[in-house]
Amino acid sequence: MNEKILVVDDEEGIRLLYKEELMDEGLDVHLAASGEEALAKLEKDKFDLVVLDIKMPGMDGIEVLRRIKEKWKNLPVILSTAYHHYKQEFGTWASDAYVVKSSDLKELKTTIKDILNTGKR
Amino acid sequence: MGYDILVKVIELTDSEEALEKRLEGVARLLSGSFAFDQCAIYLFDQDKKILNLAVTAGDKRSAGGGCQKAYKENEGFPGLAIKKGRPVFASRSKPAKGLWQKVPDKGANGFATIACCPIKDDLLYGVLYLKNKREKTLSPIQKKLFSVIALQLATAIKHYEYIVNLTDANTRMKDMQARLVHAEKLLALGEMAATLAHEIRNPLMSIGGFAKRLHQQTILDPSHVIYVERIVKEVERLEKLMDGIVHFSSKSGYEFLSEDINKIMEEVIQFFEDDFRRNRIDVIKDLSLDMPMVKVDRQQVKLAFNNLMANAIQAMGDGGTLTIKTRHKDKWIVTEVSDTGGGIAPEIMGNIFNPFYTTKETGTGLGLAITHSIITNHKGIIEVNNNMGIGVTFTIKLPVAITGKLLTVLKRRTL
Repeated sequence: MNEKILVVDDEEGIRLLYKEELMDEGLDVHLAASGEEALAKLEKDKFDLVVLDIKMPGMDGIEVLRRIKEKWKNLPVILSTAYHHYKQEFGTWASDAYVVKSSDLKELKTTIKDILNTGKR
Repeated sequence: MGYDILVKVIELTDSEEALEKRLEGVARLLSGSFAFDQCAIYLFDQDKKILNLAVTAGDKRSAGGGCQKAYKENEGFPGLAIKKGRPVFASRSKPAKGLWQKVPDKGANGFATIACCPIKDDLLYGVLYLKNKREKTLSPIQKKLFSVIALQLATAIKHYEYIVNLTDANTRMKDMQARLVHAEKLLALGEMAATLAHEIRNPLMSIGGFAKRLHQQTILDPSHVIYVERIVKEVERLEKLMDGIVHFSSKSGYEFLSEDINKIMEEVIQFFEDDFRRNRIDVIKDLSLDMPMVKVDRQQVKLAFNNLMANAIQAMGDGGTLTIKTRHKDKWIVTEVSDTGGGIAPEIMGNIFNPFYTTKETGTGLGLAITHSIITNHKGIIEVNNNMGIGVTFTIKLPVAITGKLLTVLKRRTL
């Protein structure tokens, strides 16, 4: 069965790109355009991994991450953002990985595979 | 008579002129009024403990020829005057006192009478030195006046030094202020550039990502493939530029954790596997098993090595051999990255670490500059060994142990 992952990003272009690219990797990709939408989807469905943008209007990724880890402690979360420096903020430490956005999705794909292969922490 | 000369000295020393001009005026006045052939004023160098000739007046080509340029603090009549702390008067024809014979002073050669007075209050500022070719006797009132004039000179010099110091301090302060403003401007500019870079990154990622997908489509017309490749390449170039700008303007500190350099190198090599294959580059991994852990910021160090790899790959467009070597030498973790790409032209060697310097059509010129800044921020050393015609070896040395204090400093540091 394909692993089910949730991509959270407020930019439509990025959501579409992630979806297409990650589907090619054989993943079952679901999308959310905001933190609120992501949490609602997580309530309804069971996911294997979340790819989460940090800078979003409304609830930001750090807050979403906090809520996810509160409720689904073992659900892996990859923070994916254009901002290197969030890595320094302790709010991001709970994430399982931190990937800087790039048109080359190689690093993101490798990270997703690594985490899914390692199994849940 | 006599007191009017004091008024004139005060007028001269209180003027707005440069100190030298004022002293010159006094020297001329003294040699004239006291009818001495020569009047010299020496200034005392507090650091070197030496008297330097500042001005002379009167007959400069007197017997003995001019004035001695400098006196040690214990030399000649000026030295004696300093030692006694009061004026010294001596005549060649008064051997009774024996002063003339006892004190060797080449500056007095050819003269018959001298009068020498320290210019001092609590501190010594210099010496006032009058000489005459013929025997001359100064009246008690003249001698007294001589001392008072020296005192007035001391006051003038002291005030002058105060003002110079004040002006200096003021200049330094203004200079510092200007640098601060400049630094603040740079900071603001850096912040703006970083924000802009981040905002550009999202749309750029869409453009590049989709262009890559298009590139994988088989239905494309061959000429369109070229267009799409161009888009992909240009986006990659812009992304690199964004990375560079963000790197240099980033205020975030480093996160130093214990890492295994071999593991980092394996990851870096793995990242470029496709490129190695495409460019027919053989990779030799010579990783020592005896490697202590090193405290580094993993992402930053990976970025540093990524840039070296990318350069090596570009240099070896027609294939070659890349050698990665790790060693533990004393206090250093030494990593060598060698390519067989023909080396770096000697005339550009001096520029390779400068930001925005590039010889490549599509380069940002930030790669090696970033590598350099990352390595120096780790208190490491980067060395280049260039073998023209063969290849280049970059040697990165990282300190095995970083003290807690240094860690704090680096974390606080603004890049």
